[in-house]
Amino acid sequence: MDKVILSYIVLLFLFPVVSPAQAFKTETGHVEFHSTVPLHSFTGKSNHLVGKISLPDSTVDFYVDVHTLKTGIGMRDDDMMETLDAENHSFADFYGKLISSFDPTSSNVQKATVRGKFSVHGVSKQVMINGTMQQTEKGLQVKASWTLDMTDYKIKPPSILFYRVSDTVDISIDATLPNVK
Amino acid sequence: MKLSKIALLSFVFLVLCVSNLQAQMKRERYQTVTTYDSAFWTSTLYAQSTTHFLEARNLNATIMHSFGIATSDVIQNLFGLDTSPNVRLGVDYGITDRWQAGFGRSYFLNVVDLRSKYALLRQKSDGSVPLSLAIKGDLGIVTERDRKPFKDDLSTLLSAVFSRRFNDMWNFQLSPMWAHFSDTGQGEVNELFSIGLGTQVHLSKRFSLAAEYYPVLGDRNAGTKNAFAIGLDIQTGGHVFQLFLTSSYWQLEQYVLAQNTDQFSAGDFRFGFNINRVFGL
Repeated sequence: MDKVILSYIVLLFLFPVVSPAQAFKTETGHVEFHSTVPLHSFTGKSNHLVGKISLPDSTVDFYVDVHTLKTGIGMRDDDMMETLDAENHSFADFYGKLISSFDPTSSNVQKATVRGKFSVHGVSKQVMINGTMQQTEKGLQVKASWTLDMTDYKIKPPSILFYRVSDTVDISIDATLPNVK
Repeated sequence: MKLSKIALLSFVFLVLCVSNLQAQMKRERYQTVTTYDSAFWTSTLYAQSTTHFLEARNLNATIMHSFGIATSDVIQNLFGLDTSPNVRLGVDYGITDRWQAGFGRSYFLNVVDLRSKYALLRQKSDGSVPLSLAIKGDLGIVTERDRKPFKDDLSTLLSAVFSRRFNDMWNFQLSPMWAHFSDTGQGEVNELFSIGLGTQVHLSKRFSLAAEYYPVLGDRNAGTKNAFAIGLDIQTGGHVFQLFLTSSYWQLEQYVLAQNTDQFSAGDFRFGFNINRVFGL
């Protein structure tokens, strides 16, 4: 019996143990979106993107409180919150897996692909997003961008008087995730 | 027995590590104290300054109109719309989130005005600052050919705007103001005082009702009345359209105090229409 248990302990320590040093987390990532209306375009930004990446199990988890997105015009922000029904759906988030390989010992910029569920406005869709990851002194730097079709998420683009906001919105994130101690 | 305990502890440690890393983070709202800078939708109600401030590097372009008396010769003048309106074209720029400056030109007397406003206090959502306070100055210069020296073409307005957002629907403000005219005619005074009152009631995200009143305190120009305006504001995100009825032809506060000769309650009011458009630069 003791031999079985001893074998189990040895196996446990031979098996790649999940190390906290291989997990990264930030609460100050940058996210922005770019939207267009006729003869005009605007950008919304937030520096309160929360993200966590665990390399051993390849999980990627990001979210932002949409109330923190600012376009530079207060009234337009109010409009955006109404459009997103922010009181009932406060977060835009992604939860999924890193499906490309990543070498954590390299400091080069490496292409990365994640697949998972992106949710906003209370609607979730499976998405695949391409970006880059790089080990830096400050942590794991992640950059990604993709285009979101608001109609996929049942977001009705505002259309009032002179406005007709485009259905598609370009989204990008830029975050450096320090090691989780 | 000892080995089995070690095995158990190792297993628990591993499970904890894995579960800790795999678990989806709990979504938590970002906690922040906000200021009610946009409680009023525009920098002016219809002529009276508010505690609304442009964000830094935002430009607000305004086109303000007030037409002739709507209640006399209604058919012939189409509710005063045929009468030549006083129009003020202006821009204001947010230098910082608390300080803005601008200029404009009014059709009447070709008055060019320079103005600036600074937020001393901004009401906070946590109640630590219960009201907003702004100070405002406006320098008006008559550019119409009037054969007067430059120094006699000047008018000044200084005001302090105290406002409070009581709830999601209702804002109220009180504005002690002092106006000075460098040159006056017979029956007119150089200095005028008032405590302006203004309010806005939000009916929805798009529509609000607003009103402003200018009771002149102390000496006043002969034949002038306290000005009053009431109207409907429509907010579209980048534009605010203001449709209102007003007793005064003017959009500059010092002239509203000095020149309004119509009594709103007697039916002497005119139609007004303002367009505000904010550009992010």
